[in-house]
Amino acid sequence: MEMILTALEQVFLDPRVWIVCLLSAVYGIFIGAVPGLTATMAVALFVPMTFWMDDLLSITAIVTMTACAIFAGDVPTALLRIPGTPASAAYADQMYALTQRGRASSALCVSLVHSVVGGLLGAVVLIFLGRSLAGYAAEFSVAEYFWLYLLGLSSAVVVTRGPALKALFGLLVGLMLATVGLSAVHASPRFTFGQPELYQGINFIPAMIGLFGLSEILANLLSSGRETAAATGAAPAASDSSLWGALAVAGRKLKSRFLGVGRSGAVGAAIGTLPGAGADIAAWVSLAASRRGPDQDLEEQELADVADAATANSAALAGAWIPSLVFGIPGDSVTAMVIGVLLMKNITPGPTIYENNGALVYSIYLMFILANLMLIPVGLLAIRLGGLVVRIPKRVLLPIILLFCLIGAFAINGSYFDVYTMLGCGVLGLILDRRQIPLGPVVLGIVLGGAVEERFIQAVTAADGSPLALVSRPVSVVLALLCLGLWSWRIFSHWYRPGVNSFSKP
Amino acid sequence: MIGKSLRWLTAVLLLAAGSGCNREQTYPARPLTVICPWAAGGGTDRVSRQLAAQLEQRLGVPVNVINATGGGGVTGHTRGAQARPDGYTVTVITPELNLLHWRGLTNITYRNFDPLVCVNGDAAALFVAADSPYQTPAEVLAAVRDGDQRMRASGSAFGSIWHVAFAGWLDAEGIAPDEVIWVSLGGSAPAMQELLAGGVDVVCASIPEAESLLSAGKVRCLAVMGSERMPDYGDVPTLRELGSDWTLTGWRGVALPNGVPPARRDKLLAELNEIVQGREYQQFLEQSGFAPLPLDSEGFAALLRDSDDQYGVVLQSEAFQGVQQQRFGPYLFPTLVAGALAVVFAVLAIAGGWRRPSELPQPTARGIFRVAMVIGSVLVYALVAEQVGFVLIAAVLLGVNLLMLGAPLRSVVLLSVLVPPVVYQIFAGFMRVSLPAGWLGW
Repeated sequence: MEMILTALEQVFLDPRVWIVCLLSAVYGIFIGAVPGLTATMAVALFVPMTFWMDDLLSITAIVTMTACAIFAGDVPTALLRIPGTPASAAYADQMYALTQRGRASSALCVSLVHSVVGGLLGAVVLIFLGRSLAGYAAEFSVAEYFWLYLLGLSSAVVVTRGPALKALFGLLVGLMLATVGLSAVHASPRFTFGQPELYQGINFIPAMIGLFGLSEILANLLSSGRETAAATGAAPAASDSSLWGALAVAGRKLKSRFLGVGRSGAVGAAIGTLPGAGADIAAWVSLAASRRGPDQDLEEQELADVADAATANSAALAGAWIPSLVFGIPGDSVTAMVIGVLLMKNITPGPTIYENNGALVYSIYLMFILANLMLIPVGLLAIRLGGLVVRIPKRVLLPIILLFCLIGAFAINGSYFDVYTMLGCGVLGLILDRRQIPLGPVVLGIVLGGAVEERFIQAVTAADGSPLALVSRPVSVVLALLCLGLWSWRIFSHWYRPGVNSFSKP
Repeated sequence: MIGKSLRWLTAVLLLAAGSGCNREQTYPARPLTVICPWAAGGGTDRVSRQLAAQLEQRLGVPVNVINATGGGGVTGHTRGAQARPDGYTVTVITPELNLLHWRGLTNITYRNFDPLVCVNGDAAALFVAADSPYQTPAEVLAAVRDGDQRMRASGSAFGSIWHVAFAGWLDAEGIAPDEVIWVSLGGSAPAMQELLAGGVDVVCASIPEAESLLSAGKVRCLAVMGSERMPDYGDVPTLRELGSDWTLTGWRGVALPNGVPPARRDKLLAELNEIVQGREYQQFLEQSGFAPLPLDSEGFAALLRDSDDQYGVVLQSEAFQGVQQQRFGPYLFPTLVAGALAVVFAVLAIAGGWRRPSELPQPTARGIFRVAMVIGSVLVYALVAEQVGFVLIAAVLLGVNLLMLGAPLRSVVLLSVLVPPVVYQIFAGFMRVSLPAGWLGW
């Protein structure tokens, strides 16, 4: 109790905390909104500054900037169809479709409100279930991860609105691209043709920028002259109503689907807790878990998708802190850096942190709440500013987007090979898009392809070559059954409801 | 209107000239780049960023860290070795430099680098889960020799420094390394997770990588492979005390590509020596749990030579070659995916799903030209940006593409003059993300 009071005092009565929180919110929003710069990058750039800050302020800044960066990833997704982070790729098409119908503000407000709710749900899970959930994460060996990744990949096929075969095709293209480079588990180069540059493989960030961003530029230009309005003229009808109107839409969405939001938050937090599975998988699985029938209005469905995925990916952030605090095993790349920062401040994450640094743990809990509340005003400001982007005529906007695609692809690793990757993926994206192959599954294939192969081989190697190792433990059996259930449900619903398979536009 | 824009142009160009040129006589005159071959957030990244922050204070120019990741370290070390030897690019090198070439994965060796200082060295150590039956390394060896099941070990990827440490130890004890299954995991963190989950029996890694789990009592450390005990873990014996002569210490150091002008090399060396011996850096190491390994450039060069030989002996040994035989070869997965891709494509093509939807607007001649221009712009950027610099090439490409799309001349000039420098300032100045400097020296 005393510790809680200390924590309350430390967090809410210290003006420095508020200032740091506000500044890092703005910083996080900015980094997240630039395609190619991720939440991980935001924290990595910030870490040297923590050498001169105390532990609470450092944590304040990191919690706030990641929460804001994950939401801000949705801003370029909605406005330019370039996902700011892989976590946004799951619903990029839905958001951009809403923007093209002039509902950018609604889409972004739905995302903002649900990011905040998801972040708060994640915080609640962290606070009340953290220590018991950590035990479940420790049960996950490579076999369980194999099924979890497979579940994520299957979700990408299941959630698609169009024909499942097309989504499967996209996914396989992504998986194929993922095999380029040095195979970590075999330690042997594949499809590298002796070029050292190719050893690094297809980095998913430039790939994502190319597939979504560059391909959209190319698609806009390809038919220029025929549809002048689309190619060079004014942008789509300026965004809908006022910001307040859009907020009201988001509020209504939240009120009408309490259950769905709760489910997505739970899915997000549970997946985020697992080291090696984060916001991106959480977004896809939450979409699969909440897949709706086609009876609803299309636009409502799209908004509901955005709501679910935004809830799940924000909830996953807090989940990642659970194994980090309880065991000192990083839940994702951001918490890996947090552990580094804590160690530098002579705080050792692990079960003892609750006894030795109880007040700090409660402060971290409170920080999660404060950070998500801070996201509301800063996020609204970002939406407001983002709204200006859609008013710029496309003939001016497209070259500037091109410039940002170049920077985004280059900046993450300072590599020109990544620029070529972006270009190649841009052309590929254009071709696939014109055949109506969804691009989200391609990105997920690139992100998870290496991981799913590695886990398979690791599990089987550990069992001296027996594939039975994949289903020899209770948790892996449950996950395997979930996968099978998902596939059979998809196949069954295809037989049951004729017409889903038709290749005409859904 | 154009007159006004031209005045802007002149003003900005003058600014650029003023801030960029005529400073090449003094070194350093522009930002330095530190290449870190590993991802943001890892141990090497933390060391790199600590060094960069202190170098920046001393040199008075920005020092930016680039995480040139991928290929198990091939990417970063190759880029570091092939960087222009002008003293503006340094690399934080790790033992992979001496491992990868033995497996034929790269031509780069320690001979491609000019070592400056060694900044950290952590001995390998053996870990088991808290509830493991093994209490000493000897019991692990006995179980390997006489156990009914093959033991599973990990620590990092196949052929990594911790794998070499483990295999070399077995070899020194007269056991063939392929008697134990090495599960190739991505790093020490997943290996620790796997140890907790019961997926492996032993983990070989360094103490700082296991610090929280050790202090939480979830894992136990059986022995360290250093020449002395660790100060903070005085009750953990060394292998040497237990009668083995096998030692292995992982290291990190700073190196330049060969051929940097001596004056610049000496300047950097002096600063780095002072940093590494300074209180601030020592404090950083202590608080992060990293062990110091103070070596000057000659000592570091000797360490590089010796460790290269040591790794070579292990990696070239027959037993280690035996480990490399794997049931599931590297091309199994690509073959499966390619097969599935072909089947799905065939089904789509037959069922008519591959046809282009009719409502899609057809490409026009002008459209194809514009697409080609954009593709050309990206190619030009990738080819010349390093030489010319971001600001100039971005201005040209932005201008050309704006003109092509028929933007008004005034906005073409304004945007291409203003946007690139502002963007450069925000990224390279404020956010410390490296963009190529080039002719303007920005």
